[in-house]
Amino acid sequence: MAALSLSASAGEALVLGLATGPVCLATCGPVVVPWLMVQPRGVRLHSRQLGLFLAARLAGYMVFATAVWLVGSSIPRAWTGRTWLMGGIEVLLAAALVVYAVGWPHRRCAAAKEAGGLVRIGEAPSGRRSGALALGFLTGINLCPPFLVAGVRAAQLEHLSAALLFFVCFFAGTAVWFLPFLSMGFVQRTPAVVMVARMVAVLLACWYGFSGVSILIERTFYG
Amino acid sequence: MRARILSISAYMGAGLTLLVAVCVPFVLMGVFSNVVAHAGLHIDPSYSGGTIARTIQRNGYRIVVYQPVQPRMLERIEPFVQIVFEPADSLPARVSDEVDLDGDGRPDVRVSFTVPADASAKMRGDVTALNGGYVSLANVADESFSRMVVRSGNQIVVRVPLNRSVAGR
Amino acid sequence: MASQSSSLRASTLRRPVAFRGVGRSILLTLPIALWSLLMFTPSFQRAGRDEHVGALAVIVFMTSLFFLMMRTGETYRWRRIFFVALAFLFPFGFIASLIAERGTMSIPISRMVSGDTPFCFMVTPSIILPAAFARTIIFPGSILPTASNPHSIAIMIGLWFAVTLVLGKAWCSYACFFGGIEEGFAAIAKRSRLHRFITRYGHILRLVPWAILVFVVLVSAAIFEPVYCMWLCPFKAVTEFPAVRNVETAIQMGIFVALFLGLVVVLPYLTKKRTQCGFFCPFGAFQSIFNKINLFEIRFDREKCVDCTLCQTSCPTVALSKESIREGKTLLNCMKCGACVDACKKDAAVWHLKGTPVAVKPERARLLFLYGAWALATMFGGSILANSVATMMHWLPVK
Repeated sequence: MAALSLSASAGEALVLGLATGPVCLATCGPVVVPWLMVQPRGVRLHSRQLGLFLAARLAGYMVFATAVWLVGSSIPRAWTGRTWLMGGIEVLLAAALVVYAVGWPHRRCAAAKEAGGLVRIGEAPSGRRSGALALGFLTGINLCPPFLVAGVRAAQLEHLSAALLFFVCFFAGTAVWFLPFLSMGFVQRTPAVVMVARMVAVLLACWYGFSGVSILIERTFYG
Repeated sequence: MRARILSISAYMGAGLTLLVAVCVPFVLMGVFSNVVAHAGLHIDPSYSGGTIARTIQRNGYRIVVYQPVQPRMLERIEPFVQIVFEPADSLPARVSDEVDLDGDGRPDVRVSFTVPADASAKMRGDVTALNGGYVSLANVADESFSRMVVRSGNQIVVRVPLNRSVAGR
Repeated sequence: MASQSSSLRASTLRRPVAFRGVGRSILLTLPIALWSLLMFTPSFQRAGRDEHVGALAVIVFMTSLFFLMMRTGETYRWRRIFFVALAFLFPFGFIASLIAERGTMSIPISRMVSGDTPFCFMVTPSIILPAAFARTIIFPGSILPTASNPHSIAIMIGLWFAVTLVLGKAWCSYACFFGGIEEGFAAIAKRSRLHRFITRYGHILRLVPWAILVFVVLVSAAIFEPVYCMWLCPFKAVTEFPAVRNVETAIQMGIFVALFLGLVVVLPYLTKKRTQCGFFCPFGAFQSIFNKINLFEIRFDREKCVDCTLCQTSCPTVALSKESIREGKTLLNCMKCGACVDACKKDAAVWHLKGTPVAVKPERARLLFLYGAWALATMFGGSILANSVATMMHWLPVK
């Protein structure tokens, strides 16, 4: 039963990662794309850099998973405010998604802004390996909307190991969306991909907004 | 030479495409349909009601109890159990049955409904929970996929929501 | 007078009326005539005058249109006649059968739980991920055909895949039984009233179907519901829809009607484009992927092209851009309707078989494509037309 429940959570996390991967792409793409574009050409080099970036991003996810699980386990399961919290977060998520979608390419991840020295278009960064690691870790702990959804869910899980596994699967789902960045040829096509990702972000915002408002209305009128 | 080989391949491919087109109604559609049919797929339990757990024989009809259906994380339905009374033609005009849903020998819900004479008429029913594991329904018809008392063909389909706090959600 | 006739030519005929002699046209039409007879012979063997009339009407209709394609050398306008007829008659026949069977277009929940909802191909992209990960079909139908639901999931997916292997994205021009509604409304006005808007934003609008495809596929997989069917399908307004029983279903119905009126009626009339198909339909975006493997395409002979952009203006789904024309290609969402080929005055836009030289024997490529496409159109769309005609005959007072 526990194994079934674990595999169900893993599947859910993977699908959630795939579902919100476009938002990840749209959120972190403006950071990753210019960074990759200043790298020398070569599939091997890009693969290595992207691998380092994703590994560090996973590390960031694990840090966040531990933090949210510790917070979540301290909130009683039967707490009636949980539904209000879920509805409220979904509405905020929707608003954040719209801001992220409409604000590109002028906005960046908050994390990338702090690490401004890592991303300077037109100038090849020195220390490529450390750049990939730092960039990956910072985007990994960046509180972007899909991250918050996954965090709320992980906080509800019984064990820390389940929360960590949840985020590993979530990461796997989102990582699929970064594969097209492997080669310069793919990168050059990304204006349309990023535009589609922005549109998907807006659509997801509508969905989360509707879902959140429905929950709040149901809670208000039906208890 | 290369261009010639490419052209020949292209025309062969076009010919094959035409052949495929001609074969669609006679062969291909059936082949692909069989592949899908034997792929081990099933209809989502929120629509189908899940798998059968047990059948309870009554006088002239039977009650089919299904396994509880648990929604996946973001799925928007409540957890429920489906109960089917069949055949509808053999049911008494008024049904009020206590049903054991979890197989522990004790009844869990009482289902009550009147079978309309007109098979196409909308029907309503009541479900009274006999323990804390289920949610009572009053005068319900087709409220949602988790809460219903409906006639579907020659069956009466009842769906009883599980109490979420007990169901682990 | 000369400029008036040339502008008329720009929007309608390009080639002289007689592209090919009558004899040769009949010869080339023979295979389609024989195919039509083969497809509808079972209808003649069944009892019922109405079915006979329906079958005969379709045989004559499809054969005549193909003959005209051969005779005039044009594709688009004759295909459009079939396509519009299909799209307007299909809902008629479908709604008539719904009313006869249950007295309403709405689907009660009891039919959904019994698996009696006929499967629609437009939900195909949404069911892929849940089927792959959880072996679950998120549609209230039945896997195998039943007496009450012959349009089972296995049958419809089998049919869709088989037809897509041949047509690719040309499904949207020869198989879809909805797209002709927009094409019909788009043909009414003489000129577009939103031409500048389309010119300015068309390159963004044609990305929307991809965004909706991604959104629908992934959210459907996340919540295990066919999101497009439940929330976004405009054609629910002319087929069947979940019965309105609460606020949510009422909102859904409102969305269906608004999308239908906006994207399928009003905007096609104003823009002379297939706005639902080109700027919204996720299934169309999904079918575009199959253009990559399909052997037939439309190309541009750069030596003949004078960049007059008549092709761009005539394309119903904005599948051409200045850049793509410069490269001699259409965009991925080209549905091979032939509008650009027929509109081009310089014979620069041509049908092409991948792997062969561009603009060398384009008519051969066109013929090879049309035989496959029209055969399937006759089989699939033709049977729908025959059924609808038979239904109309049922309603006629003369027996």
